[in-house]
Amino acid sequence: MTPLSKSSPKERDSALLAAVAAGDRHALEELYLGYHRRLARFLSRFTKRYENIEEIINDTFMVVWQSAGDFRSASQVSTWVIGIAYRTALKSIRRQKNHAGAGSLDNHSEQTVDPTIATEVHDWLQHGLSRLPVEQRLTLELAYHMGHSVEEIAAITDCPVGTVKARMFHAREKLRQYLPALGGAAIESPTRIE
Amino acid sequence: MTNNRVAGDSEHQEVGALIPWYVNSRLSDHERLRVDAHIVDCAACRADIAMEQRIFDGIKGAPTIEYMPAASLKRLQARFDGLQSRPTAADAASLAQVRSPWSKRGLMAASIAVMAITISLVLADRWVQFRAQQAAPNYRTATHSPPRAPDEVIRAVFSPAITLVEMQAILEEADLRIISGPTEAGVYSLAAKSGRPVHASLALLRRHSAVRFAEQTQPETESEPGNSR
Repeated sequence: MTPLSKSSPKERDSALLAAVAAGDRHALEELYLGYHRRLARFLSRFTKRYENIEEIINDTFMVVWQSAGDFRSASQVSTWVIGIAYRTALKSIRRQKNHAGAGSLDNHSEQTVDPTIATEVHDWLQHGLSRLPVEQRLTLELAYHMGHSVEEIAAITDCPVGTVKARMFHAREKLRQYLPALGGAAIESPTRIE
Repeated sequence: MTNNRVAGDSEHQEVGALIPWYVNSRLSDHERLRVDAHIVDCAACRADIAMEQRIFDGIKGAPTIEYMPAASLKRLQARFDGLQSRPTAADAASLAQVRSPWSKRGLMAASIAVMAITISLVLADRWVQFRAQQAAPNYRTATHSPPRAPDEVIRAVFSPAITLVEMQAILEEADLRIISGPTEAGVYSLAAKSGRPVHASLALLRRHSAVRFAEQTQPETESEPGNSR
């Protein structure tokens, strides 16, 4: 392994992934530990059950292990890894739907917040987010929690930039319906000055 | 005038679509300047940005559960240990693609083995039936017993749930081979494969719960009482 302590996170990720492609299991473990927290947080928007989150993360890193040699350095390692996790999670949701009929991973999160007692911004947000379709919810998560650009989200979710913007637009529209006071602060209906 | 209005609406919508990335500071310099210029005169977009900033702060600052990745990593490592060797990049498009060649080969080998065993059993059965038809009159009574092959030492009945592989394993262990069967009653005729005493093979057969019945058909030179199950 090359010394990575002084390199930037992007360079570090690239070096680790190159080592993974060469069959270095320690590099994979380092990459795993570096991404686990981010992915767990991201995937908690799919499901609150840790066993599901762990399974998706481990499936993701199985794919990383198998496909590291196919990675093209035109994109960022983080975008690539999160994209794999995103697609793995969607597959997991489809599997769950097939097994449980109308039930899905998403439905678990809807029951975690009681709107009648939600008085803080966080509670309102959790309630609102849990009601969004998964693609819209994750677009918000990718932009606001993980700080991705619209182009990066398009790469992660493997869809056009226009689709990302549309998902974001609809997510914001719906979220506003659930955030009438946003933690007590009244939101005035905006008026446009021409 | 109308053209200016349409252009203004279009600009308003396009800037509105950029607001989430204005808030998370991921716009290009050009896009950021565009938003800055627009919101000077657009109170709606300024309100949008203020609202979006609160949502951004709420999501960004939401408390998260801290997971301990060590246990998860151990389970992942166990999965890696289960893989025989690292596949090439060409094989690695997906986990399923990597696994499938091995599983296909394994299934093919198992299928061939099962087919071979099945064919040999059917042929042996037909051969014995043919010989029996040649040797005996073509009628049966309630007490009719099919002629015994000269090398038959044991007759056995196995559980209907037993697989061919399991049956073969039991017979291997007991140094026996099938010479005919199963009959309509599910009886197999077994011959010895080695010089092991028949009573020893019989005892081995009877140890298995999948063997419903096992009986010696020929007396041994050194006498050993045979007990049926």
